[in-house]
Amino acid sequence: MHSLSVSELFWKEWRELFASRSYWLLLLLIGPLVGQAFISAVALYAEASGNGIGPAALAQGLTPLDGILVPTFGAYDLAATFFLPFVAIRLIASEKQSGALKLLLQLPGSLSAKVAIKGVVLMAGWLLTLIPGLLAIVLWKTYSGHVYAPEVLNLLFGHFLRAMLSVGIAVAAAALTESSASAAIVTLGFTVGSWALDFVAAGRGGRMQQLANYTPTAALRFFEQGLLRLSTTLVMILIVVAGFATAVIWLQLGQTFRRRALRSIALLFVVVVGAVAAGNVRASWDLSENRRNSFSRADEAALQQIKDPLHITVNLAPEDPRLTDFEQNILKKLRRNLGEVKVDYAAGSQTGLFEGAEDHYGEIWYEMRGQKIMDRSTIEQVVLEQVYKLAGVTAPAAEEDNFPGYPLATRARGATWIFYGIWPLLTILFWWLIRRERN
Amino acid sequence: MTALLAVEGITKQFNKRRVLDAVSFSVRPGEVLGLIGPNGSGKTTLFECLAGLMPVDAGAVKIGNRSIPSDKRKQALFYLPDAIFPWPEQSVKWALEFFRKVYRRSHSEAASLVEPLRLQELLKARVGSLSKGERKRVLLALGLLTTQSLLMLDEPFDGLDLRQTRDVMNLLKSYAANGRTLMLSIHQLIDAGRVCDRLVLLSAGRVVGEGTLSELQAQTGLPEAGVEEIFLALT
Repeated sequence: MHSLSVSELFWKEWRELFASRSYWLLLLLIGPLVGQAFISAVALYAEASGNGIGPAALAQGLTPLDGILVPTFGAYDLAATFFLPFVAIRLIASEKQSGALKLLLQLPGSLSAKVAIKGVVLMAGWLLTLIPGLLAIVLWKTYSGHVYAPEVLNLLFGHFLRAMLSVGIAVAAAALTESSASAAIVTLGFTVGSWALDFVAAGRGGRMQQLANYTPTAALRFFEQGLLRLSTTLVMILIVVAGFATAVIWLQLGQTFRRRALRSIALLFVVVVGAVAAGNVRASWDLSENRRNSFSRADEAALQQIKDPLHITVNLAPEDPRLTDFEQNILKKLRRNLGEVKVDYAAGSQTGLFEGAEDHYGEIWYEMRGQKIMDRSTIEQVVLEQVYKLAGVTAPAAEEDNFPGYPLATRARGATWIFYGIWPLLTILFWWLIRRERN
Repeated sequence: MTALLAVEGITKQFNKRRVLDAVSFSVRPGEVLGLIGPNGSGKTTLFECLAGLMPVDAGAVKIGNRSIPSDKRKQALFYLPDAIFPWPEQSVKWALEFFRKVYRRSHSEAASLVEPLRLQELLKARVGSLSKGERKRVLLALGLLTTQSLLMLDEPFDGLDLRQTRDVMNLLKSYAANGRTLMLSIHQLIDAGRVCDRLVLLSAGRVVGEGTLSELQAQTGLPEAGVEEIFLALT
């Protein structure tokens, strides 16, 4: 019996990928999608930078990450949600429907390896679609735009994980269902479900919000903010691997339904335990140039001296914008610097509009070593002062923000030609050449 | 003669309907064994169960005295299903080349299949564009490129015309003569008598007879009978 011929299977899957109309459609549309996002982003950035039409924003507020990269690469979120799943589904479902799966299962090598090769090909196929995004970055550089490499790489990594998450879900759905159409419905159901979770969590906060941090949209948001969280990365990888493992379980035609179901339940258990464990991993890296996810270096050094757990009770409703500020500007950073931060969300209502003063609405209580302090502010320096006071740590001298900002009033020269003309034409040309070679 | 493979008590139910009922028989090395039965007798289900592509409710497949689990069967046998159209967007040439490389067959081994199966004019065509008979010939070529000692072919003559059927029979016999064991599921009883060394007669999921034509003639007491009469006598 021969061993698995990895290269043959890889090229077979690669050919199958390029035989897929859905993949060519993805390639065709990704150019104009990225182009439209890039051209709009450059125009808005130019306006904010003061291009003569209106007043300029503060230079410190102008970062290419927020102004150019995130909106441009937003096209990939759209593609990963609405196009990529169909490409992944086709790679599995077409073999089920044509009977090729029965041959594939009998070829040398394990099914896990064969499914993994499909995954690798889908990843490689996705990387090809990144060409327009990378072209946008090159164009931005040619306009003398600023690019901070760690931010860009982190964003690309986030989009890669986001895309693989879509692939993992789609591959599992294709293996579980009888037809491509059913698999597409299951995949879109998952997407809509994750949006619903985001929506509900925004209204409820607390544990629900913690869970919603791992939906594709929310997970991507961390990378868009320049933050590389190990917990988010691990959970995303775990879900991707679980998707492929589900596919392996359900493509084993020789196993009974009961056996496959039991294996799936065991897998689910492992995923839940793994996700809970990964969710508690605290390591994270702020890769943004303006250190938006971090306190000043002096404050971080001071906070790292504090070893006692901090207990915070927040009397703010989930839909109260002050809670959003508090989460974004304070809690996110505190969790990255203190050993243990426990947060209780004590507000009873969803909006906070009808809470009475006697209910202590708006109060934020900080507790450490049995001492308690109450404050209502969500301003960084005010909160830090309270924490230092509780911990008995001297507050460091305030540091000046050194981030200069990168205003640039320019036009997206050449972008229209590249994204709306050259890219679609090249895609069609390659499609025609490959199809001609095949026939 | 020592059996290459022994099938013992394979039973399969769909819901409450028993489609295979304790099917047992043996396959001898280098023979062409015909699994004979009308449509719906359970031939394809049996093949899928033997290949490990469908779970069984009971029974075992043994090599020597060792039971082979379903996920290990591909080491001993290869099953070529009927009515599939694998990788329909790819060319016939690519499909043959893929199997040739996976099973590390030489170019000459692959080329030797092109003429008897009349594949020359099909090489550039897409698998999905082939007629039933053309597809059958391509599938047979894929099956013959595999290297497992037992090759199971589901309805290998279905869709072929008279001349093609004769050529394929000769090709299969030549493979068997070179030591390859073949198991063919056939519903055309006349075809079965012409190509098979031994027969397993399957009716309503049960084995009703097993042996060479002469053994079955003796068993039924019909010394001049063909496969058709024997089958009718046993069912």
